[in-house]
Amino acid sequence: MKTRSITLYVNGEKHTLDVPVNRTLLQVLREDLQMPDTKYGCGLGECGACTVLVDGEKAILACLALAATMDGKHITTVAGLEKDGKLHPVQQAFIDVAAIQCGYCTPGMVLKTVSLLSHNPRPTEGEIRKGLEGNICRCTGYAKIVKAVQKASKLMNQDL
Amino acid sequence: MSTRILPEFDLLMPHTVNEAVKILAKHKRKAAVLAGGTDLLVVMKDGYRVDYVISLAEISGLNSLKYDSKQGLQLGAMVTIADVVKSKVVKEKYPALWTSASENGSPQTRTMGTVVGNILRASPSGDCCCAVLALGGSVILRGPKGTREVPIDKFWLDYRVTARKPDELALALKIPPMPHGTVTAFTKMTRTTLDLAKVNAAVRLDMSQKKCTQARIAVGAVAPTTIRLPKTEKLVSGKAITVQVLKEVQQSVSTEIKPINDVRSTAEYRRDVTGVLVRRVMEQALGGI
Repeated sequence: MKTRSITLYVNGEKHTLDVPVNRTLLQVLREDLQMPDTKYGCGLGECGACTVLVDGEKAILACLALAATMDGKHITTVAGLEKDGKLHPVQQAFIDVAAIQCGYCTPGMVLKTVSLLSHNPRPTEGEIRKGLEGNICRCTGYAKIVKAVQKASKLMNQDL
Repeated sequence: MSTRILPEFDLLMPHTVNEAVKILAKHKRKAAVLAGGTDLLVVMKDGYRVDYVISLAEISGLNSLKYDSKQGLQLGAMVTIADVVKSKVVKEKYPALWTSASENGSPQTRTMGTVVGNILRASPSGDCCCAVLALGGSVILRGPKGTREVPIDKFWLDYRVTARKPDELALALKIPPMPHGTVTAFTKMTRTTLDLAKVNAAVRLDMSQKKCTQARIAVGAVAPTTIRLPKTEKLVSGKAITVQVLKEVQQSVSTEIKPINDVRSTAEYRRDVTGVLVRRVMEQALGGI
């Protein structure tokens, strides 16, 4: 087949579309669904800017996923973290500690952090750095990003 | 070629292994098999052209990771590198494989990429390749004539050339159970994370009464494929592994490899470093000397 009709659930919303089979999930999100919050960095899986979540916890690279093979999948992009006007604790933490400079790595960083904290709610600094090793940042030197993850972990574990 | 766009191809999404094999038998080299995509999509963005892409995404039953003490470990074609990292049984019984998976690529490529894919890519710097060659094992292939098993020692024929025939689908990787007392380890030399190995090394030491009865030493990025070091392995067999033996191992390794200069490193560096790496990975396996 050269095109395939697929259903994608993005941030909870159902989208049915006919995609050319050689279209990546990144192209479909940014161009076909007009959701530019997921960023194109390298296109080769080396920078992590295009990180999105499948089923809320599995971090994948949209630039290396063929949209046609993702029929029925539930995808979360960074814009989908906000609920009823309230930012996700990870988003809030990144803002609170000023872990954003140019902001280009931020969507991927935030989503990977959500994934990391869902598997390991109280990571050590070493575990944070290892968990984010697939996301490159040119601006911050990572120090504030680590602090943001630590703050998010505190915020998310407050009620426990 | 832009890294944003893929070239055109015909996508096929079989629902069973038999369907996939029929398609491969029909199109052979005109078809590429897509598992995780972390390899195929990258080479396609770099200009690799193929008429047909066969996705394994909708075939059930290929993502099982099974272990039992008699059969050993079996990893289906769609078992991801992350699945191996998450597996307590792999971490406990096959530390070399577990480490190679943990240090392969990035967390995101690990959730998508597959172990069998790493083996089939047949890159001499493959991390899982190195661990699997040290551990021993075999690749299960299914073709139109049936299923066959190729031992890993005979699987890589040349740089990026495997024993898989164009009409065969790799179904699984099998690794035998490790005898009691066997120790294994993996290490790699890179600049940073996400990086391909300049050199990697893995070892399996079967031990009995503090002596090594059998050694399997695998090194990568120093030959067209991952290789074993039979001469160095003989040095260790039947002996207690002392500091002196490790010194001899380090010397011997340099004489057994013929590395080249490439983008990642120089022949000289690899010649100097590989012996040290093998010594270190043996120390690691033994839990320190």
